[in-house]
Amino acid sequence: MEIEDDEILQGFIEESLEHLADIETDLLAIEAAGQNIDEELVNKVFRAAHSIKGGAGFMGLTTIEELSHSIENVLGMIRSRKLIPTPEIVNVFLLAADQLRNLIKDIINSNEVDISSHITPLSSIADGSFEQPAAANGVASDTNAETVTEQTPPGPLPEKNTTTGIQGKVDASLRVQVSLLDSLMNLAGELVLSRNQLLQSINSTDLRHREAVGQRINLITSELQEAIMLTRMQPIGNVFNKFPRIVRDLSSKLSKVIDLTIIGRKVELDKTIIEAINDPLTHLIRNAVDHGIETIENRRKYGKPENGQIILKAYHAAGQVVIEISDDGKGLDGEALGASAVKKGLFSVEQVKAMSAKEKVNLIFMPGFSTADEVTDVSGRGVGMDVVKTNLDQLSGQVDITSEINVGTTISIKLPLTLAIIPCQIIEAGGERYAIPQINLEELLRIPAAHVKERVEKVGDAEVVRLRGHLLPLIRLADVIDIERTYLAPDTSQYQIDRRKLLHDRRGMKSPLFKDTDKPKIHPPVIDNPSQRSVTDRRYTASSALNIIVVSTGSMKYGLVVDRFLDSEEIVIKPLGRHLKQCKGYAGATIMGDRRIALILDVNNLSIMANLTSIDGSDRAADVAREEEKAALTKIEMQSLLTFKSSEKEHFGVPLNQVERIEKINRSDIESPGGKRVMKYRGGSLNLICVDDVSQVEPLADHDSYHVIVFTLCNKLVGLLSTGPIDAAEVPADIDDTALVQPGIMGSVIIDGQTTMLVNISEIAQSLFPHWFEGKNIKVLS
Amino acid sequence: MIKEHSEKSSTLSELATFYIGDALCGLDILQVQEVNKLMQMTQVPQSPECVLGILNLRGQIVTIIDLGKKLGSGKTEITGDTRNIIVNSPDGPVGLLVKKIGDVIQANMNHIEPPPANMGDVQGKYFTGVHETSSSLIGILNLDKVLCIDE
Repeated sequence: MEIEDDEILQGFIEESLEHLADIETDLLAIEAAGQNIDEELVNKVFRAAHSIKGGAGFMGLTTIEELSHSIENVLGMIRSRKLIPTPEIVNVFLLAADQLRNLIKDIINSNEVDISSHITPLSSIADGSFEQPAAANGVASDTNAETVTEQTPPGPLPEKNTTTGIQGKVDASLRVQVSLLDSLMNLAGELVLSRNQLLQSINSTDLRHREAVGQRINLITSELQEAIMLTRMQPIGNVFNKFPRIVRDLSSKLSKVIDLTIIGRKVELDKTIIEAINDPLTHLIRNAVDHGIETIENRRKYGKPENGQIILKAYHAAGQVVIEISDDGKGLDGEALGASAVKKGLFSVEQVKAMSAKEKVNLIFMPGFSTADEVTDVSGRGVGMDVVKTNLDQLSGQVDITSEINVGTTISIKLPLTLAIIPCQIIEAGGERYAIPQINLEELLRIPAAHVKERVEKVGDAEVVRLRGHLLPLIRLADVIDIERTYLAPDTSQYQIDRRKLLHDRRGMKSPLFKDTDKPKIHPPVIDNPSQRSVTDRRYTASSALNIIVVSTGSMKYGLVVDRFLDSEEIVIKPLGRHLKQCKGYAGATIMGDRRIALILDVNNLSIMANLTSIDGSDRAADVAREEEKAALTKIEMQSLLTFKSSEKEHFGVPLNQVERIEKINRSDIESPGGKRVMKYRGGSLNLICVDDVSQVEPLADHDSYHVIVFTLCNKLVGLLSTGPIDAAEVPADIDDTALVQPGIMGSVIIDGQTTMLVNISEIAQSLFPHWFEGKNIKVLS
Repeated sequence: MIKEHSEKSSTLSELATFYIGDALCGLDILQVQEVNKLMQMTQVPQSPECVLGILNLRGQIVTIIDLGKKLGSGKTEITGDTRNIIVNSPDGPVGLLVKKIGDVIQANMNHIEPPPANMGDVQGKYFTGVHETSSSLIGILNLDKVLCIDE
């Protein structure tokens, strides 16, 4: 068929499809009304059919004309109350409307299509020969056949597969309210005026005028932006409106009675999101009908009303749109899902045991969880849920399930209003800025330099951080995207290349246990007190704190280590050129306030690039937990020791965590009234002890100055006299507790080739000040 | 495409010339959107070797390709003479970083000779032909080849 005027045809297609979209909803309403015919409604459908007929006749589309004419005929009879619209009749209508839509979508070939299967029942209805029961059966099975083909999830609906080039063109146009266009025009005018003002003010010297113009342009820009965004907004009703039909067809096929309630049709979302959400939503609705709601018999058994309820609800919440699909069906059995996950080998029994009820229910989103062989009660909903999730992930949406057995299931989906402008957290790594979409962001975590060592651990090749009792896998941004690791030098405030291999590598430069081969050996400075050290060693300065962005990609959470956190900003996503398509770590780029570009990170792909998958992550976490358990059982852990000397030859060590502080004193500071050595300390007296007071070791060497290692025991302070050099060392805690044990010495370790005796400070104190430990003390240190 | 078109409709066309390494090259001026000297580039980690970075060109993100690296004559040092030639590709503008910009010259497209196997350090496959002036040889770049992505 040759069609001369493309534009008129386009107009016809668009208009007809719009009419048809309404027809479906209206027909269902007519069906629901039954005998109480709402004339207004019937008229509306009638008019729609009539307009299609008119347009088709004008363009020589005979088939479309014929079909719409038949529909119009029967509708005329209903309008004049010669006919009561039964479900069977409405069924015929619906099928005819479907056919009409297909014809219009493939308009070029529409005249060749055989439509007698629709014309015959329609005309038999018109002349009264329509045998309801028989025809109804035939039609019903017809419907079944159709819904069955439509049902095969996942993937686009069959309708979409048949779309032709014309359909594509139709999609590319958009209806915008004239009032909105007017306001856009108005804003554009304002913008031009402001530009003229700006040009004037640039030449003038009036600063205040310039400021005013700047502010004006600022306002107009944001208004313009909002107005343009509005043109892209469409009511979610466009998607929701087809669900009554789907629920109706599917439930009658499954002999269920289901009421669908739709709330919030007017909630608006960006056009692209509306289009993309169609498939996942359809899938979820089908699942609710098919697997969620029980059969009538079962519902009776559980004392539920025969009519199942499905509520589809959309509303705004915190700058996002939430879509909820809830049913009052049988709910999901978390235990059964967990067991199934174990059976499939996705998780171990222990892992499943450790999951919360909610986590178990959310298992159905795991890829690979759903397979075709699940036909039991357990399965049901699993089919293709991971696909739903993937689809939603692409829209930066989040999905969550809450379910209670025999009460129902609620699936809630959170979607951004638009994908064009997104709030982002800006971060810095390697001197460049990057943006991380706020929707992926869980929290910002800053671990002070002093805590890094205890909170960051290495498990296998992975580094993990302890976050409120959980282990979070860590990825360094610099490593994933392969840039030089840098750190902010505290003295120069400039980025320098970081050579540390491990995040938790916090060892002192002069530790005898760990010699850095790539660093020149620095002469170990004598530590006078720890606070001085923390100034000289950059690892312990504030700028050396770990900055971690905790991100979630839906299925998993991980921490991204970056150099610095910057602001949170609203950014406009711009695509990258094709030369950069191979860089999977970026979702695009954006232009910052200073006109430079920042790349937007794709946290999902980053985790893949870092070989981090959710199961992997939890495995690692489990490994860590197991190791910890083991360590707790056998008490062998790496131990930090403070090493010192008392005499020239012997080396001693005490656990670092027992040490309060270290003071450097002169010999003259030591007083010995009443045979006890004390010194003035913070306005009081500090008892001073030596290792040789109790243990059989060489006496304290004679020095002009000593280091006093201060401990707290039984809420009292005690100072251990020692001589330098004082150092810290990390040793495996497998202490030799046989060879050198004696009172005051709990064992020995070899550090850097030196046998080091471990001092049991509480034992020494106990033998010297037994009364402290009896609790009846008189002498109190202030 | 524009190039083919102009070749057929008029035999005389204008070439924007520039240096890649030491080789003098040219592009049909109709293929050039603009020439600028913006050098505030943002580096893209893990990008292909020849991509120098991305640039904000009045709100558009432009990928800058170091032509020296792309065509095999080595990295282009950024000096006061370096320029970006912005050309339009099927999916948005692309910037070509060249060592120096030359004159715009008129060339008779009927007198274009096929390219040699290589010109200087640049392989012949990147040229559509060679134009000879009284003083020099100008290799005319095949823009599609230059913009295509190496596997």
